[in-house]
Amino acid sequence: MQPPKLPHRFFRWFCHPKLLKHIEGDLLELYHDRRQASGKRRADLDFVTDVILLFRPGIIRPREIRENLNRIDMFGSYVKIGWRNSVKNKGLFAINVTGLALGIATCLLIMLYVADEISFDRYNINAGRIARIVLKGKVNGEIIKEAVTAAPVAAALTDEFPEVENATRLRRYGSPKITYNNTTFRNNNLAFVDPDFFQVFTLPFVKGDPDKALVEPNTIVITEDEARKIFGNEDPINKLLDFKESGAQYKVTGVIRNIPANSHFHFDLFASMEGLAHAKENNWMESNYFTYVLFSASTDFSVFERKLPDIIKKYMGPQVEQMGMTFEKFTENGNEIGLFVQPLTDIHLFSDFDGQSELEAGGDIKSVYIFSAVALFMLLIACVNFMNLSTATATRRNKEVGVKKVLGSRARQLVYQFLTESFMATMIAVALAIAFVLVALPVFNELSGKALAPDYLLRPGTLGSMFLLTVVISLLAGSYPAFFLSSLKPVAALKNKISGGRGAKGIRSGLVVFQFVISAGLILAIIIVTQQMGYIHNKQIGYDRSQLLVLRDLALLGANENAFRNQVAADPRVERVTMSAFLPAGPTDNYMTGVYPGNRFEEVRRTIVYHVDAQYIPTMGMKMVAGRNFSETPLHDSRNVIINETAAEIFGLSSNPVGQTLTTNLEGGKKEQLTVIGIVKDFHFRSLRETIAPLMMVNNPHGGLIIKTKTKEMAGLIAALNERWNAYRPEEPLSYAPLDELYNETYVAEEKMGSILRIFGALTIFVACLGLFGLVTFTAEQRVKEVGVRKVLGANVMQIVSLLSRDLIVLVVISFIVAFPLGYYLMNMWLQDFVYKVEVHWWVFMLAGAMTMVIAFFTMSFTTVKAALANPAESLRTE
Amino acid sequence: MKKYQLGEFEEVVMLTVGILYNGAYGVSIKKEIETRLSRKVSVGALQTALKRLEDKGYLKSREGESTEERAGRPKKYFEITALGKRALEHSKSTRDDLWRAIPKVALQVKMAG
Repeated sequence: MQPPKLPHRFFRWFCHPKLLKHIEGDLLELYHDRRQASGKRRADLDFVTDVILLFRPGIIRPREIRENLNRIDMFGSYVKIGWRNSVKNKGLFAINVTGLALGIATCLLIMLYVADEISFDRYNINAGRIARIVLKGKVNGEIIKEAVTAAPVAAALTDEFPEVENATRLRRYGSPKITYNNTTFRNNNLAFVDPDFFQVFTLPFVKGDPDKALVEPNTIVITEDEARKIFGNEDPINKLLDFKESGAQYKVTGVIRNIPANSHFHFDLFASMEGLAHAKENNWMESNYFTYVLFSASTDFSVFERKLPDIIKKYMGPQVEQMGMTFEKFTENGNEIGLFVQPLTDIHLFSDFDGQSELEAGGDIKSVYIFSAVALFMLLIACVNFMNLSTATATRRNKEVGVKKVLGSRARQLVYQFLTESFMATMIAVALAIAFVLVALPVFNELSGKALAPDYLLRPGTLGSMFLLTVVISLLAGSYPAFFLSSLKPVAALKNKISGGRGAKGIRSGLVVFQFVISAGLILAIIIVTQQMGYIHNKQIGYDRSQLLVLRDLALLGANENAFRNQVAADPRVERVTMSAFLPAGPTDNYMTGVYPGNRFEEVRRTIVYHVDAQYIPTMGMKMVAGRNFSETPLHDSRNVIINETAAEIFGLSSNPVGQTLTTNLEGGKKEQLTVIGIVKDFHFRSLRETIAPLMMVNNPHGGLIIKTKTKEMAGLIAALNERWNAYRPEEPLSYAPLDELYNETYVAEEKMGSILRIFGALTIFVACLGLFGLVTFTAEQRVKEVGVRKVLGANVMQIVSLLSRDLIVLVVISFIVAFPLGYYLMNMWLQDFVYKVEVHWWVFMLAGAMTMVIAFFTMSFTTVKAALANPAESLRTE
Repeated sequence: MKKYQLGEFEEVVMLTVGILYNGAYGVSIKKEIETRLSRKVSVGALQTALKRLEDKGYLKSREGESTEERAGRPKKYFEITALGKRALEHSKSTRDDLWRAIPKVALQVKMAG
């Protein structure tokens, strides 16, 4: 028989513990009696009345003593004492807070960067269900990796697989000139897309109907920025845009919001693919289309991927046979070709297609890992500093703890005291860190090539993690002193019998080793990255890129191309001129075709074709290995080609190449026979991340000029070139660039990573040194009397300095043992990216070790030398 | 007068404790008062009074047995202390003095009226 629960619990809660037992007994007994006398309802009601009437002074429990204390006041006192302590130890406090602030600031910056990197393409509502179909394979020894697939792939996937909800294609079209109302607009990034493109990608329409916009041929959807650029304040819908180059006219049927910065493509115009005849062809042998698939929910990409080889066999097989080889024979020869699924969200960070094949240069997951690691290290080092210095200085406060305990402080209050102090310091550090971030953000944006805005910091997620960080750091950094000191026996504390404890010293040593593992590792990494960058700059790349000036878009001059070339060549400041738009670095005309030796089609290899003239090889400073260069009259060598060493080797022409025949397939199934007249020494025309591919030069000059200059005064030359150019009144101004710059742009990602690593590496080492400095200052202070006595007894400065730094130097050396193998392993992984790379020599480790040692010793010498030079009379005077 | 503080209800409670002698605990006191005086006594009022009396030293308590109805909670038995007895006597004698001081006439008139 139970009385009503809630009032019963209420009674138990408020009743004085001493009275509880028997009053509760009385109540239960009464309830029992009443229940039997007058039933449950009556008894319940009486019980409730009794409980309510019991709620009166005398019965209610008194408030407990500790609850009577005003905790807010105590926190006030903690803050006050904490503040006094920081002011007393100004130097150490400043070191502590600055180090921590630098650590947090770095961490925040890199967090912003990483968050931005991994947010790519996630703006799509169905991001998790979208994937790109890509092409990978091996044909006659050549590794093929293409982000594009053949035109009919999309349709085949939709037909064959129910889990494919939608497959849509995109084909890029460069930047055509667009005319509206007699005004021409350039630099428009155009793509052709299937009508259902906007059902797969979340690109909201401002105007127009996403479902119908691109259904008709010759319709086009533009972004808001593009609409403003072309139409100003006019309504763009149903206006016509002229593409003079192709003669086509497109009707604007929709305006979409600007494409988010974190997208793997940024087009200004999306034209309907309906009008594109090529898009409807059933040709599996040519890859030009980016194919995106929207899968139904819960489709496993890897399971789907395993079904794709059958598709290749079914659709591509017959077409391979048409070219004179059965599909079985094709695969028997060691060839393979396959379609693969690349999740949309992987494109930005994980895509390893070369620059030509990918829509935009993406990020690199390795950089994300490296930066995250640096951020984490930095934060850890800063926390370690904080802990080290707090434990070290806290031992000075034995007496304070002792007195407090004698006066009745509870252990918990002392814990609060120390935690409050570390929380205060962390708060100050976080505030400082935010200031640092605001100041450093523009510089960081420049370095990283991002446009991170400070309001990123105000997002709830960022704010939340910042608060969490503050709490975690203050707990981490404050916990050791808090729990160690609060557990001291008051008598021992007052007698000063504890000096940090053996355990504390062990922990401090461990932390110092940890810091220097990271510092030495980073120094090693920086040396290797710098070496590799130097290697790239100084590598014999097979041509001489100095003093080369590239002029583009020569086609704008029309028939005056040659006249302009001759004028340029006549300039005394110009050594040589070649007419070609094919460059071994930077943006270049690009042309690839299948080539095979003699009639052996089964040995076909995709070969890069350069359109050049007789001056190309001497102007670029390339060397002939065999045969001869082109002659000055283009017609003479129209069927002759020069190949590079790699091509000669692949086509088996190494022994006697000159005069051999190569065949290439032309459009419409025609074949052309070419004769090799010479071999050019291999030169690097892709980044050093890739091996040299087969290349073929034909004598067909057009498109651009490459000038070898012999003047230091480039500005004057460029002015003269401009004048000549403008004399022909072309539509556009002269566009030029030094080849050296273009070359360096190829390695912008590495350069950026290098500089970020250098800066943050230096910061990390700086913070580690701050910690070391603080620690050695503290030791020197503690041993001031010992130093005094030693000096009196005749020790010299060197002996004192080594006495004070010996322990810490040993720790630094220990850290090398861990740092170097680890650093070597990680940097080797980074170097694997490059086909051409530096060796890591033993002296690199020596250098890294020596540098770390010098930095550590130099840091400590500030304090140690000061301590060693101090007058012993000063330190021994007081006791 | 200030020597012994004893309210009306407190006096009733003490007297009842006396009546019940060895069996005076919360429920029995409550029932005794209710039957003898025909008045409702709430547990709250009774317990407050008991606590006050114990604090004043007029009552002392001991822990007793428990029963099944009480779900194992012990009874708390009260008995009157020597000081409590004096306080009761003091109270009674004061009343008697007062009674005696009333002129007979006054009561008769009242009774007649």
